[in-house]
Formats: sequence, C-alpha cells, structure tokens
Amino acid sequence: MRIVAVWSVLLIPLLALGDDLSMSPSIQDVKKQHEAQLLNMAGVVSVGIGLDSEGNQAIIVGLDGSHPDTESSIPATLEGFPVVVQTIGSIRAQ
Amino acid sequence: MADDLNRIRSILSVHRRQLLERPNVVATGIGYKETGGAKTEQLCIVCSVTEKVPAARLSAQEMIPSAVDSTPTDVIQTGIIRALQVPTDRFRPAPGGVSVGHVAITAGTLGCWVTKEGQKVILSNNHVLANSNAAEIGDAILQPGPFDGGSFPQDHIAKLTQFVPISFQGEPSECPFANAVISVFNLGCRLISSNTRYQVTKLQAEDNLVDAAIATPLNPADVNDEIFNIGTIQGTVSGELGMAIKKSGRTTGFTTGEIQQVDVSANVQYGAGQVAVFTDQLLAGAMSQGGDSGSAVLDDGNRLTGLLFAGSETTTIINRIENVFSALGISL
Repeated sequence: MRIVAVWSVLLIPLLALGDDLSMSPSIQDVKKQHEAQLLNMAGVVSVGIGLDSEGNQAIIVGLDGSHPDTESSIPATLEGFPVVVQTIGSIRAQ
Repeated sequence: MADDLNRIRSILSVHRRQLLERPNVVATGIGYKETGGAKTEQLCIVCSVTEKVPAARLSAQEMIPSAVDSTPTDVIQTGIIRALQVPTDRFRPAPGGVSVGHVAITAGTLGCWVTKEGQKVILSNNHVLANSNAAEIGDAILQPGPFDGGSFPQDHIAKLTQFVPISFQGEPSECPFANAVISVFNLGCRLISSNTRYQVTKLQAEDNLVDAAIATPLNPADVNDEIFNIGTIQGTVSGELGMAIKKSGRTTGFTTGEIQQVDVSANVQYGAGQVAVFTDQLLAGAMSQGGDSGSAVLDDGNRLTGLLFAGSETTTIINRIENVFSALGISL
C-alpha cells in the first residue's frame, strides 16, 4: 500500500510533464489551427511554412497587394513561431 | 586569301543548286579542306551530307566531283539538319515540356508521360486537359494547343481519360437538405409572383490537393518519354524546403528555382472570378508564366517532385507529385 502511494507521488510530476510535452504543438499544428482565419483576412492569398530572414522555421503569409489593416492585425509570432508577411501578388492558374 | 575566298564564292553561287540537288547533300559552304582528319590551309567547297556513301554505290551524276571549276571539294557527314524546335511547335513523338491543350482552351504544358494501368498517358493539369471541369471524358487533346496553332483533327494527339474535379468556392451546392429547404422558398417566391429565386452555394468549398488530369494517346508511337531540355525522369522524390528544382514549360522554357515554402494553403484564381483553395502545396520563387501550367517539376537528380499549376508575380505553386499520383492512380 505504501509502495503504491510512493509511486503515485513520483508519477504525478511525470504525467504532468508528459502532458506538457504533448501540448507543445508543432509549427504544422499551429499553421493548421490558424490558417483558415488568416486566409479569410482581406488580401491574404497563401499561408505556408518556410524560413524567416534568420533561417528559423516560420509561418509565411502571402498578400496579393498592400493591406495595411491586415498587416497590422497579423501577430509577429503565433504560439512562439515567427510569422513573416510577404506581398506576392494574386495567385492565378497558369 | 581574300581573293581566293571571293573567287570560290562566285564559283559556289553558280554550282550551289546542282550540288544541293544530289542525294544526301544537305548544305554547301566554304571551309578549309580536311585531309586524313587534319585541317589544311586549302580553301574548298564543303558539301555536308546526311551520310557518306561508298563511291561504288553512286552514279557519276550522284557523286560529288572532287573539284568544281578547279576548286577542290570536301564531303563531311552532318546527318539531317533540323530547325531548332521551340516548345510551341508540333512534336511527334511528343516529349514533356511542350505545348498541349484541350480543344476549348488556349494552351498549357504537357508535363510528362506517366503510366495508368500499363499504358503511357499524358499528365498535365485539369485546367489544361479538362478545361477546368468543363470537359467530357474522351474530348480531344491537341499538341500543340489551340493558341499555338493546334487544330482538330490534324494535331489531335490524345483523348481525355480522367481528371480530378476542382472544387471552386461559391459553386452550386449538392447538399440535398439545403436544396430541399431552398426549393420551398422558391415555391413561395413563385406563389407571390416574385422574380427572386434562391440558390444554395458552398460557402466553403472542399480543399483541393491537385489540379491534374491524364489523356491517352491515339497512337503509342507519339510517346516520347523524355522532357524537352531536361531529359529522362529518374524516379520521384518528395519536395522539401530548400530543394533546388527545375521545369521545362511551353512559355518560359527551361527555368530553375528553389522550394521556399511547404504545407502551403493558397487561394488560387481561375478565369471568370472562380477561386479554389489548395492545400499541401509547394511554393517556389517566380519560375513560370501563363502557359507553363502542367509542367513537370524535378530536382537536381531529374527526380519528379511536382506538377506546376499556378503562380503570382513572385511565386510558383506546385502540386506534390505523390498527391497527383494517388489522386489519379498513376505511376511513372
């Protein structure tokens, strides 16, 4: 009985840590979670995963032109991942 | 020396026609005579032939004389001389990288030849081979495409076999419940003699993975497994961030780039205000223009990694080849 009690005390922090690890989302998860909202903002034509100017993995948001309101409302980071906004123009089937 | 050259020029201008009329002669010119594989100082009339034939098999009229008006001749083998072809030309057999299109479109690019149920078929985009969902299976595919002078039936190379429908935003919905509700509304409108009618449209169309279609050649002899200006495909590879890529297309020919983004979701405009959402795309820098759609995208090792279908001023959007292959049930 005492052994079980000791084990459960030890296990609680481990389980909590495990929870923390599984809660830490990948950049793919974060992009997926936010992309519908981003794509609905005026002028946003693409959301992808690339590199920022320092070579870190980043969420890249493409705009079809100048949209100051959209640009100012896109956060610089999403759940710790950098967000880069680029003007790429309209994407058309070629 | 200059006197020699001018003298031979005037001799050649007199005799050029009768030299070109002889069998196998494809060109005449002035050059230094080669003897035993080494160039000499002797200017001569050079006759280029498709192949050298032993003198014994030629009549006196067919043989190129050893001298014309006391100017020596030389015979060199060059093979058949062809005009350098451009991707908008007619090609038979047809390689990847050249103009192709459904009869009702302008022109796109024949990506490459792939295999469907043991048969070689043309791979390109839905909007190139199937007119953005508007085509019927069996419709004529022309090489070159109509914009490049392709016409039916002379340039009919293949029949549309299969396409992956593109889901556009704001299309009429097939939802039976919504359509049933709306038909009641419309009945009401008729009853009060209103001119208004309601239509159910999709607010959120399904996401697309590929803009792809295949077409079966009328004649298997028209298949050229290579890609114009690239060569033979050496397998497939999954596209990754930073990968160097290349393509050969109808409009901009051979171009190179780099995969700058993966996992790309994008709103893509098709003509007439239609928009389709694509997910799991590859994005590269500008390496294409209108008409390059359908180009096969390869890595440095000529491994197939994608199917080009869209772009902006600064970007190119590419379907992953693994998604294309699984959507159409095809392989290399």
